[in-house]
Amino acid sequence: MDLMLSVIAVLATLSVGAYAVAVIDRICGVAMGGEATGGAGVHDRRNPFLAPLSRAAALWLAPPHVTEAPDAAGWRLAPVLYLTLAGMGLAVVPWSETFVPVDLATGIVLWGALEPLATVLIFLHGWSPNSHLPLLGGYRYVAVGLSYILVSMFVLIAVALPAESLQVSAVVESQQELWNVVRQPLGLPLFLIVGLGISFWGPLDFADSNDLAGGTSAESSGRALLVWQFARIAMLVSFSAIAASAFLGGWMGPLLPGPIWLVIKMVFILVLLLVLGRLLPRLSPERFMTLAWTVLLPLAFVDLVWAGLEALS
Amino acid sequence: MTAVDLAFLLNAAIAVYSGWRVFRTDSMVRASFLLLISFLAVGAIMLLLGAVYLGVAIFFMMAVEMMIMALFMVMFMMNPAGLNPMNMVHQERISAAAGVLAFVALGAVAVFGEFPSRPKPEGLDVVARLGHELLGDSMLVFESAGVTLLATMIGVVVMSSRRGRYGDANEGSVPPGLEPGGEPAGQPPDDDDEEHGCH
Repeated sequence: MDLMLSVIAVLATLSVGAYAVAVIDRICGVAMGGEATGGAGVHDRRNPFLAPLSRAAALWLAPPHVTEAPDAAGWRLAPVLYLTLAGMGLAVVPWSETFVPVDLATGIVLWGALEPLATVLIFLHGWSPNSHLPLLGGYRYVAVGLSYILVSMFVLIAVALPAESLQVSAVVESQQELWNVVRQPLGLPLFLIVGLGISFWGPLDFADSNDLAGGTSAESSGRALLVWQFARIAMLVSFSAIAASAFLGGWMGPLLPGPIWLVIKMVFILVLLLVLGRLLPRLSPERFMTLAWTVLLPLAFVDLVWAGLEALS
Repeated sequence: MTAVDLAFLLNAAIAVYSGWRVFRTDSMVRASFLLLISFLAVGAIMLLLGAVYLGVAIFFMMAVEMMIMALFMVMFMMNPAGLNPMNMVHQERISAAAGVLAFVALGAVAVFGEFPSRPKPEGLDVVARLGHELLGDSMLVFESAGVTLLATMIGVVVMSSRRGRYGDANEGSVPPGLEPGGEPAGQPPDDDDEEHGCH
């Protein structure tokens, strides 16, 4: 019974969340202009609630694309496995004091492990079509990804410090008095960058960017592309759940039940990410790498020292 | 047979099968990722054994490790993106013999060895115990290994970096002369004029 409920909660959140992200992103695009995912710009006159569905239907019906001598297994598996990672990440997030789909004692570390595994899959997605532009996207993602995976690890260790536990539910409960977003002010901004990175969104869209004609998915079409796009949005949803739990007190809040509070905070993080995704420019990969290693990584160290001193006092 | 037994058998089969495929495949990237699958299955077995930290640690360690390994192998070998078929093995007979011998020896230990039966005590916090072990009695070993690895990583980054002490490598970095405008100091005698044609 509990198992069924957990599976339904994770799958429903990913599907409804992905639809909500697509709608919010279109509304942001129309309101703010600019090009981001799905090509929704200021001149888009389509109904934002129907347009994601019609695009999904179009992709569902489109024929698959084949390249010369691809790694067929890798090409098909990468989107599905990437979606699986999003589900795994969401599964360790607690919905209330008692309802945690998978209450793993090392949930925070599992999240740290999902990011390198996602890197492997994004590279696989770019490598397996045996084509130039996807390959460039894959290589780019690995180079850039390694630079903020470290940032993510330090930020996650910092939230585990006051909780004295690697369990996500313990991290949420450690914020009973003060949310981590206040206690560790550097944490959430740094972690948001990781969120944009792991779903290669907006300013950190190095893998599937339009300067590579779609990057790792340049050769994808039809249902494979649909799953890939869906998985990428699902990863953003999954990320918003862990960010809300690690920094905004997760399910805790007055009056309303836990799951409602978690959803409210997830929507807040998602809107923040989507607006940032529209506002921030995309740097060239090498400039972002310099920024990541020389500014973001030292800031992550400061965040960790800050958390340590705070925990000692 | 319980679900845990079934999960163990499944993961063990995946680990052995993908480990074997590493040597049968014809691409460096595929070989790395098959090895990764093998390690991930071992990590899942560690989780089944109750080693919640070490199991998950295998996931992220091996993911980063295999990704970097695949990237470097493709970078340093003349094989576009590791998709061209190539022979992945050498010294096959010796390797196969060593592999079979090691498998038989380890298998014999597993089958004939007598292992102590000490189930995990109820309420044992595995992660905290591991932390106390790593940063308590084993701290010197653990920290020496950690600092050595960090120094190695920084060294590799410095050595492979384009920026050098005397300018960027792609712009012909040479040390300055001993007197202004003189010959670059400390350079080996220049006798490789013919070699330039080979690159």
